[in-house]
Amino acid sequence: MQERGGLAREKRGKTQKKNPAEISRFFASFAGYLLRVIPKLDAALLIVGHGSTVNPDSSAPSLAHAATIRRRGLFAEVACVFWKEEPALRDWPLLFPDPTIHDIFVVPNFISEGYFTQTIIPRELELTGDLTERDFPAGQRWHYCPPVGNHPAMTELLLQRAREVAPGVPERETSLLIVGHGTGLNDNSAVAAKQQVAAIAALDRYAAVLSTYMEEPPHIADWAKLTDTPNVVVVPFFISDGLHSYQDIPVLLGLEPEPTAAASQQAVFRQNPRHLHGRALYYASAIGTEPRFADIILEQTAALALA
Amino acid sequence: MDQDAARLLFSLDAALARWLAAARMRLGQIQMETLPPPQAGFRLRHHDDAGRPHEELALFTGGADDAVELARYDDAGNYRPLKTAPNLRHGWRLEALPDLPALRRALDAFYPARLGALLAFENGRLPVTPLRETLARQTGMYRITQKLTDAQADALVGRFCRSDGGCLRTILWRRDLAGTPASSHLPPEKFEPAFDQTGHGETRSLPLLCQEACNLLVAEARAVIKGERTAAAASAVDC
Ligand code: SF4
Repeated sequence: MQERGGLAREKRGKTQKKNPAEISRFFASFAGYLLRVIPKLDAALLIVGHGSTVNPDSSAPSLAHAATIRRRGLFAEVACVFWKEEPALRDWPLLFPDPTIHDIFVVPNFISEGYFTQTIIPRELELTGDLTERDFPAGQRWHYCPPVGNHPAMTELLLQRAREVAPGVPERETSLLIVGHGTGLNDNSAVAAKQQVAAIAALDRYAAVLSTYMEEPPHIADWAKLTDTPNVVVVPFFISDGLHSYQDIPVLLGLEPEPTAAASQQAVFRQNPRHLHGRALYYASAIGTEPRFADIILEQTAALALA
Repeated sequence: MDQDAARLLFSLDAALARWLAAARMRLGQIQMETLPPPQAGFRLRHHDDAGRPHEELALFTGGADDAVELARYDDAGNYRPLKTAPNLRHGWRLEALPDLPALRRALDAFYPARLGALLAFENGRLPVTPLRETLARQTGMYRITQKLTDAQADALVGRFCRSDGGCLRTILWRRDLAGTPASSHLPPEKFEPAFDQTGHGETRSLPLLCQEACNLLVAEARAVIKGERTAAAASAVDC
């Protein structure tokens, strides 16, 4: 089961890549528009997040996007499940027992395909591929959608975040660093960060665009050595302002001597810029906290139809 | 069964109406109250606060969104990774829950998916997974939990899931397919849905059911095997 899910995923990944970018973007934006406005009251949306047993802010973006989508009244139900919090992924049989709900769209709120989207989520939700038909409620169809990080709008959102955190700062005198986790089981996140960097660099706006990582070279801790511009903007390619982007990376950047309290437990969000090593350093909050992720989640439910 | 009948049977709002009609107004550490007109609707608070004057309790009116925040930290301001742990914060009242769906969403924020678990249980449709099966499924960093010995599992569950200080859920799963109880260190009431795990002897409380070992327990099993939980944790079970 787990392997079948994984294989289906790889195959779909290839199929998607074959589409010329503009055509798929056109259809994605058109389908995305429809998905954002047409109610599907015999369907439910399930947002899958990682969650955390130590950081109270890890699940916040998934919950916030779910609340946004719920308010729009597009689905009969909108729910979240988490790997490390409740409701747990394993609670899936309890979430949508209503027999009038025929379709469930499962959208991983993850930055890339990887260990979680290809192994953990299909295994824990007992998904057999892109489409899984359940015995109970009879015939309920669970559609497994691509993770949010795969969406073509991600590049634009990263750019927008970079502009917001350093308004009016000339891009030609600025290095933009996209920081990902890197290493370990989820190493596709590093690939995803590299793809975003390549797309942004191709626009030729910033003096330099680099992908950096917490746990593998080029290390984010070496930001001052990696760049030579007066301004440096760092955008975490993470889903939440959780342990990594709010507590670990600021220490690696030299913004904090040691990990601070969690974001939600801090009275004031960090001030930008900070002057370190003779540069102006701007640190953004995680890309996944962007409210437009709610639209991206909706649009990912269309990606299956396009593949 | 036609679809309307099935819908009613599996509707959480209908189930909640039935439970309330049977005066089952307690869920874990939460006391539900129906408010008389002109307010109407429902109010929630910590059951320890039931005797305190309303004015002493901070008023919240933001529905499930406020419930999420109230459930996030304990009295000392520490993050609560396990929502069914017996450490719900005190000193609040959640009002402006006008109807059953609003009440259901708020309860679901305090105790995610527990109403759903109870309804499935009452309908004979709650899938229950033995601990060994949960551990056997693990991959990556948790694969090592398959090495947990029976003695380690017995001690771990006895320590980690205990109602006084661990978790208020009623355990339905067994250790293995042979039906070995989850832990010999836990009293028989820990496996009895009719029993009030808060220790207040409430006879009509709605149970928080545990149909499968949670991820926190799996993570703790890993810590046991890696030797990160040794003498101190083990002695906590013995005393
Ligand atoms: S396994 Fe169940 S009873 Fe034990 S701590 Fe986790 S949720 Fe509570």
